[in-house]
Amino acid sequence: MDAHPVRLILSDDLKRNRLTVFFRLLLAIPHFIWLAVWGVGALLVAVANWIATLIGGRSPRLLHIFLASYIKYATQFYGYFYLAANPYPPFDGRAGYPVDVTIEPPQSQRRWTVALRGILALPALLLFWTLAGSPGFGTRRRAGATSYTLYGGGLLHTVALVGWFASLARGMLSRGLRDAAAYALSYGAQVWAYVFLLTDRYPNSDPLLALPELPARDHPIGLAVRDDLRRSRLTVFFRLPLAFPHLVWLTLWAVLALIAAVANWLSTLLAGRSPAALQRFLTRFLRYSVHVYAFLYLTANPFPGFVGVPGSYPVEAVIAQRREQSRLKVAFRIVLALPALLIGSAYSTLMTSAAIVGWFAALATGRMPRGLRNASALALRYTAQTSAYLLLLGDAYPYSGPYSLAAPSTDPPAAEAAPALG
Amino acid sequence: MGRGGRRIAVALAVGAFAAAWAWAAHALWRSSVPAGLNPPHLHASRYFSASFLSRSSSFERFQDIDGLLATLTLLGVLSLYARRGHRLMGESAAGRIGTGMLLGMLGFALVWLAEFPFGLAAVWWQRRHHISHQGYVTWAIDSFLSLGASFLFVSLALLVAMGLAGVLRRWWWAVAAPAFVGLALLSTFLSIYLIPNVGPLRNRAIAADVAALARAEDVPGTKVVVQKVARYTTAPNAESVGFGPTRRVILWDTLLNGRFSRKQVDFVAAHELGHIAHHHQLKRVGWLALFLIPASALIALLTRRRGGLARPEAVPVALLVYVALQLAALPLWNVVSRREETEADWSALKATREPATGRALFERLATTSLDDPAPPAWSYVLYADHPTLMQRIAIVEAFARRPADYNPRSR
Repeated sequence: MDAHPVRLILSDDLKRNRLTVFFRLLLAIPHFIWLAVWGVGALLVAVANWIATLIGGRSPRLLHIFLASYIKYATQFYGYFYLAANPYPPFDGRAGYPVDVTIEPPQSQRRWTVALRGILALPALLLFWTLAGSPGFGTRRRAGATSYTLYGGGLLHTVALVGWFASLARGMLSRGLRDAAAYALSYGAQVWAYVFLLTDRYPNSDPLLALPELPARDHPIGLAVRDDLRRSRLTVFFRLPLAFPHLVWLTLWAVLALIAAVANWLSTLLAGRSPAALQRFLTRFLRYSVHVYAFLYLTANPFPGFVGVPGSYPVEAVIAQRREQSRLKVAFRIVLALPALLIGSAYSTLMTSAAIVGWFAALATGRMPRGLRNASALALRYTAQTSAYLLLLGDAYPYSGPYSLAAPSTDPPAAEAAPALG
Repeated sequence: MGRGGRRIAVALAVGAFAAAWAWAAHALWRSSVPAGLNPPHLHASRYFSASFLSRSSSFERFQDIDGLLATLTLLGVLSLYARRGHRLMGESAAGRIGTGMLLGMLGFALVWLAEFPFGLAAVWWQRRHHISHQGYVTWAIDSFLSLGASFLFVSLALLVAMGLAGVLRRWWWAVAAPAFVGLALLSTFLSIYLIPNVGPLRNRAIAADVAALARAEDVPGTKVVVQKVARYTTAPNAESVGFGPTRRVILWDTLLNGRFSRKQVDFVAAHELGHIAHHHQLKRVGWLALFLIPASALIALLTRRRGGLARPEAVPVALLVYVALQLAALPLWNVVSRREETEADWSALKATREPATGRALFERLATTSLDDPAPPAWSYVLYADHPTLMQRIAIVEAFARRPADYNPRSR
């Protein structure tokens, strides 16, 4: 397939200036004002562009340039604001910023997709909200009492929050966090380009195609994906109730896993290595939970087995053999895992949105769109890595960005897992 | 042992089983309602207006026909599924039992899809007659999500049956049937905890009445609770659940919204206490056992062509056989249920000594639920798990004519 006409360009070196990171929110104020002003103009121009494209079948060049510049500027600014880039961005969206997008010149578009663009964009907007939605704070009065609720933001906000602390501590942002933010920015640029009629190519949620270059990683916990994207409409329609027996079984298993995890923590703290029996039990539990969630969230098609047999499911956690672990990291594992849990919750929301959109798509076409499947697999891989980290199946920290897999040294039965998603 | 000897042994075993079955059925069939009661034959027109009789008859006929069509669809879908359902095995990456579970659940899923229009029609009809005010979307979502509970149930049942079939082969049913009865007993015991929206009865006067009635019916200390259903329906109802420490009388809040007098609510509670006093919950488990033992054996026999229930491809056939047997047994089950309801009515009459209240209650129940007081025979046989309202009124009249049981002055 041709490359998407809206593509992310990354030349960021991961270095961050602690001073500008600390004051990032305040430094961004002039840009927020400018973005809002430009945004009003872009909205008006977008309406004109819709009418012109509907009539002419192609976006007029001047309107296209105006809207493309706005999207480039917004991407650069949000790249700065969400710590995906370091330097203060220009106000005109000019090329050359470390996080930038390239948008191809106007192409002819199918008029019916132009006419229905607002409706067609809804699934993409839902995913975009999951990736970049703002956190919120709500109050609710019931029976005279006020309750307060904090709504977590999308992946982009969560990554920025974690990245803020990391950048202040180390003077640089980890590649995983930067790439997770870049994935959200790339998808956002494609969504707005689609909404503003700069292209009629649907936004691609595939994280493996979002970045110009994927890093190769050798993480001890990976995800092998042998799924062929085919979905049974019948089992898709009834996916939630079909998963009930598995969810009940998983809950029962989780109670035992919790006890085993505590025992594993104590043993690993003393011996510096997880006992083989506990490692086996927890590995199987994790593998089974990945099977169940892959089924529930439509990452895979078949009904999984109940015992987490290695190699039995097309989407599977690949878990490396046990290794020596740093006792210090073991002792503080729960505290250390907090940032990963935060990002994991954002990824879980992504997985839910991908499943909702994918449910309709799979019912209509009998296939899961590759982009949604891979977004879901990325989220599943991250949550599996987080669980493995918490369960002391390894001490490698979860990697929050997409990557291509350099096959880890696996436990023998899972070693056949071939094509993999990082 | 030769072939002839084996046949004799089998015949003896079957004969012994049939004798034990008959003896158990006879024991369960016993009732405290006097045998020579001879309730009078009453005409509905004496108690209900012609317009009500016409309205209730039309209301129930639609529901009956809708139900009948849904049942025929159910059988049609399951017959097709029994033939072709095994093709869905390719959608499973699970082992033998997991794949069987999937096929079992998908069978129910297809039935749900096929019956959906009939369910929707029933909701429409009830809304039209102001019996239900549940929204269509709410109904559809609730119905879809309640499939999850059905799926859990069928998965558990198949886990037991297929697990045992893997070990015991052709004789799995001999162990599975008692296991299912045990599970049914457990579920009966715990049922109060599985019913949603249940809370305490706040009306102290009625609570005191029910406590007195519980003592009169020899089930002192039976708790009474209220289930909130007014959001979905206007129909009044009550039920008794559990046994031993979990026994409860559940009154629907639609019974307590002022449409029924205190005495009428007391009568309803006395009826439910009657079920508890005569151990109807446990008797139902007993009847279930009598059904399940031969039914499981028949399933084992009829699934042999597909390799027995140890094989997942036999599951669609097992589903069809089970549902068909259940439907075939439904008229008999209704006979048992009607007998128990009559016994509970009799018990309520003896405890309250209020035949006039009973009569007024049944008349009121008819008008609030649009119950046809005298349905046609086919509907009665297929669907009536309670005596008709005219039969219930006739029992009341029979009670009032028996001075030994009813002496208003002695109260």
